Amino acid sequence: MANEHVVQLRVNGRQLVALAEPRALLSDFLRHSLGLTGTHVGCEHGACGACTVLVDGRPTLSCLMLAVQAEGAEVLTVEGLADEDGLHPIQQAFRECHGLQCGFCTPGMLLAAKALLDEVPDPSEDEIREHLAGNVCRCTGYVGIVEAVHAAAQVLQEQAQ
Amino acid sequence: MTGRYVGARVMRVEDPRFLAGRGVYIDDIEPPGTLHVAFCRSDHAHARIVSVDCSRARALEGVALVVSGEDLRDLPPFSTTIATRPEAKTGTRRMLPLDRVRFVGEAVAAVVASSRALAEDAAELIEVEYAPLPAVLDGEAALEPGAPVLHEELGDNNFAHIEFEAGDVDGAFAGAAHVFRKRFHFGRTHAAPLEGRGVIADWDVAEGSVTVWTSTQMPFLVRGMLAAQFGLQDTRVRVICPAVGGGFGLKVQLFVEEAIIPELSRRLGAPVKWVEDRYEALAASGHAKEVLCELELATDADGRFLALQGHYIGDGGAYLAHPWTSLIDPLCAASFLPGMYDVQNVRYQVDTPFTNKCQSTAYRGVGWTPGQAAREALIDDAARELGIDPLELRLRNTIPDGLPYRSATGCNYDGGSFAESIRRAAELIGYHELRVRQRELRAQGRLLGIGFSPFVEQGAWAGAVAAAQGFPGFSYLDAVSVSMEPDGTVTLTTGLQSNGQGHETTMAQVAADELGVRIEDVKVVQGDTAGTAYATGSYGSRTAVIGSGAIRRAAGDVRDKLLAIAAHLFEAAPDDLQLADGHISVLGSPDKSFTIREVASAAYWGPRPDDVDPALIATRSYDPPETYSNACIAVVVEVDADTGQVKIERIVAVEDCGTVLNPAVVEGQVIGAIAQGIGCVLYEQLPYDEDGNFLAGTLVDFLYPTAPEVPAIEVDHLETPSPVTEGGMKGMGEGGLIGGPSAIVNAISDALGVPVDRTPLRPCDVLELVNRASRAPS
Amino acid sequence: MLAELGEDARVLAGGQSLVPMLNLRLARPSALVDVGRVDELSGISSNGSLRVGATTRQADALRSEVVAGRTPLLTAALRHVGHPATRSRGTVGGSIAHADPAAELPAVLLALDGEVVVVSARGERVIPAASLFTGPFETALDEGELLTAVRFGDMPEGAGFGFSEIARRRGDFALAGAAVVVAPGYARVALFAVASCAFRATEAERALEQGGGAEEAAALAAAACDPSDDPHAPAAYRREVARVATLRALLEAGVARG
Repeated sequence: MANEHVVQLRVNGRQLVALAEPRALLSDFLRHSLGLTGTHVGCEHGACGACTVLVDGRPTLSCLMLAVQAEGAEVLTVEGLADEDGLHPIQQAFRECHGLQCGFCTPGMLLAAKALLDEVPDPSEDEIREHLAGNVCRCTGYVGIVEAVHAAAQVLQEQAQ
Repeated sequence: MTGRYVGARVMRVEDPRFLAGRGVYIDDIEPPGTLHVAFCRSDHAHARIVSVDCSRARALEGVALVVSGEDLRDLPPFSTTIATRPEAKTGTRRMLPLDRVRFVGEAVAAVVASSRALAEDAAELIEVEYAPLPAVLDGEAALEPGAPVLHEELGDNNFAHIEFEAGDVDGAFAGAAHVFRKRFHFGRTHAAPLEGRGVIADWDVAEGSVTVWTSTQMPFLVRGMLAAQFGLQDTRVRVICPAVGGGFGLKVQLFVEEAIIPELSRRLGAPVKWVEDRYEALAASGHAKEVLCELELATDADGRFLALQGHYIGDGGAYLAHPWTSLIDPLCAASFLPGMYDVQNVRYQVDTPFTNKCQSTAYRGVGWTPGQAAREALIDDAARELGIDPLELRLRNTIPDGLPYRSATGCNYDGGSFAESIRRAAELIGYHELRVRQRELRAQGRLLGIGFSPFVEQGAWAGAVAAAQGFPGFSYLDAVSVSMEPDGTVTLTTGLQSNGQGHETTMAQVAADELGVRIEDVKVVQGDTAGTAYATGSYGSRTAVIGSGAIRRAAGDVRDKLLAIAAHLFEAAPDDLQLADGHISVLGSPDKSFTIREVASAAYWGPRPDDVDPALIATRSYDPPETYSNACIAVVVEVDADTGQVKIERIVAVEDCGTVLNPAVVEGQVIGAIAQGIGCVLYEQLPYDEDGNFLAGTLVDFLYPTAPEVPAIEVDHLETPSPVTEGGMKGMGEGGLIGGPSAIVNAISDALGVPVDRTPLRPCDVLELVNRASRAPS
Repeated sequence: MLAELGEDARVLAGGQSLVPMLNLRLARPSALVDVGRVDELSGISSNGSLRVGATTRQADALRSEVVAGRTPLLTAALRHVGHPATRSRGTVGGSIAHADPAAELPAVLLALDGEVVVVSARGERVIPAASLFTGPFETALDEGELLTAVRFGDMPEGAGFGFSEIARRRGDFALAGAAVVVAPGYARVALFAVASCAFRATEAERALEQGGGAEEAAALAAAACDPSDDPHAPAAYRREVARVATLRALLEAGVARG
């Protein structure tokens, strides 16, 4: 393909490299060039949050970033949350609190929740809702999600001690 | 058979892969060599197509094929939608239009290219010459003589005019002490699943067969429709449904794109893929629920309801949803006109005009949503005028709890907790304390409002309930296949299709209880017409009832075989055996037992009796009778008198869906549906301007409710098991969206003390009501 | 580089406004100049007035204790700008240069008598906020000029400030909003989302400087609006909630209702 750039970056702790057209979005790059289809696309104009990943530790809408802008970045996608011991506490909490139904918003929601808990280890219910305001869920009505984030906060705080 | 799973809050077995990002949705699939499609879509609401010039598009490097209606003219029509009612016309549609476009967003041509971006580049190069025609954008206007006619072969714009009457309506109105009227326009809305539609087709030209992947709620119906479309045998079409990111009724239609994509694959001999973008989803998939309801309620001096009449005009958009037709909204609204109230004098009229908008499709709760909103707002208006508490007025009129009841419109309710749900919701929300607090706040200029919406809802849409709702003439076949593997684990296959409701768990719960195995031992397989038992799909709150009924029967057959084989091993009679907790043992002698695994192994490998077919597999169907759930939703709002913004303080839902399979799943369904209800009333809108331009093409225009907009919703359960269904389940899932919008409307009306006559209610609309209220004499 | 690439090139900073336009095919630049990695363009300093490098991320500005201490009006406004994920990449300079009529930061810049530093092949110049915003998505930047820094003025001694935004959902584009700074004899009342660009309601400011109350000033501010109809709200509603937002902001700033 004409005019493709080489993009090197770390994804989920692994050094990866692939080609990207200048106009390719990070979301499409992750999904189709790197085969990491866990990050989902809901709108491509930054209004639904489904494509949320962490870039250099910050919550980021991967549909609003060009792949070439991720050169040298450290990206965490949903595939990088669990480890060989099992699900991440946030993932486990979502399961226990019925925080997902169809699962389409879930990857973005998990990473937005992780970004919140990384910054605010003990958020109030209002803070949780406000920080997740950019992540649309059409199935759950958010109650299970808010409970899950709250439960995960408890677990993570205990683990930190 | 009582077991450990049915009724328990079992954690969902499908969650780990979704949490790990390993759910496979339609856009995650890409067979080798896949080409991509983009559509050229109309930017006119109504126009003749003068010419379509694809030459520049075809010339772009990377473009494999471009087709317009002309290129498809020899194909049979995409659909000939027939509603099984004498009053309905027949609607025909082509895959791509030949002569005319009828709504902004209608697909006019398709481009296939090596990437979606390239296909979009090429689609921009397609030159379509349109000769604009006058557009009609209002249902009532479309019914007027002289309105622009969308489908000239039908003569006028009314797909169906239906009339119904029961009892003595005129007599009741003539003798009434009071007559209350209401004209309520429920605004156009959208199921808007977060994952849009998508189709991949891979036509095997050599074999004359096609594999179609589609994000659908009805894989077998898609198979049948596509087979008919292309003149293929059912066995030559395979429909695979991957994980579905939400359906809510939108994905239980067949869309033109689902036929166009296979045709393109056939022409190219390569896999072809299309996934809609958000504009296509909003403008061109399916709208819903826009119904103008004109209702009249006759009461006696004490507020006893004597009669109801209603005229429902369902704005059906430009084409008929296939297969439900645009009757799905207004006719369903009409069928529940009397709701949960004991009124036997009922009359309704239904009209279904075509308009130059996106087609109307099914969306969770269908027309019951607007019908409920209109009727319950009318009742609150009546209460206000009569000076009777709105709950008291309702309680004077509800159908008695617990008894079967045939509604005036021909629905056979199988016993509900109508009055109890109202009382329970009132208790949970603290109704009397709230009224006190409301008065205190009003003295401070603050506007608190309380709204209730109790309702009866159908469950398990199939032949019986469909006929009762006005859609007769079809039976539905829904089956489940249960088989036990040599190691005693269980595979369950079905054409019922999860789009988020947790079927892999709920159906496994039933099977595990029936066969005495652990839930981890049951695997549920859906989404492949080549590998599952036939079912029409999941929609209309049916899977719990139909699935569990069929599972009980099929698992029962397998259980009988297991017991027969075990009896042979024990040299006992099957009736002396029990199956539980992974074991088959002799009643009264617990030490005489085999594991289920051992008995299964004996079926496959021996020793086994000669007089039993050892194949541990059974496929059974379940066609349920009519069954009806009920619920009551209560909402507390505060209206900001300066800005018209509405804050929802609390929501309580009291739900009775009979026997509950999994309370967590039920609560998730109720809460999720109520959140959609909040969206319908306060945030979502799909406006068209006077020229028919679509004004909600992005998610900055169509506003989803997000976490700050949805409060912590409290769900309480009542349980009135159905006396007529297998297991007593009634089906649920739609109720939050049937009663939710209505309760919110009523709460706003209560806060302001004025009637509300439409949705959506943007802050500017509420502020207008606030101003109207402050001008009204108190 | 901008001069070389000509009219069809666009600057890409945070991308939170530009990339959606690219994705929706509403903007079709022939080239994008990504300034996000130019270190000199980022950073917050407060020798003299508060200086925020153009590519400073909104999230960093929101978290900055320097900003919170020096320019709390900016902190208050940043909470309403988009969502955490958009603030991760969206920049302070980008939001100002993009000049969306509904954006918060242009109004904050006006309320604080701020200015921007712009650079081109021809050199550097400073544009005061009062002449920066010229229309919807239009600023006084000439072709080939790049906004490199934003300087926010200090509030006068003893001033109060207020920020109020009316939106349909948290983080949505405002229906109306106001950023105000008030001290005895001094007032800045900047409105957004209710005209072709952010603007100062100078008659409202004069009334306040002469001792008028919040209600009077809010009514004058509303009268100065020039809102448009859109599917979310008709112009008359925006004008009315501009009055409400201004009133709330002024009350928050300590102005008596009057």
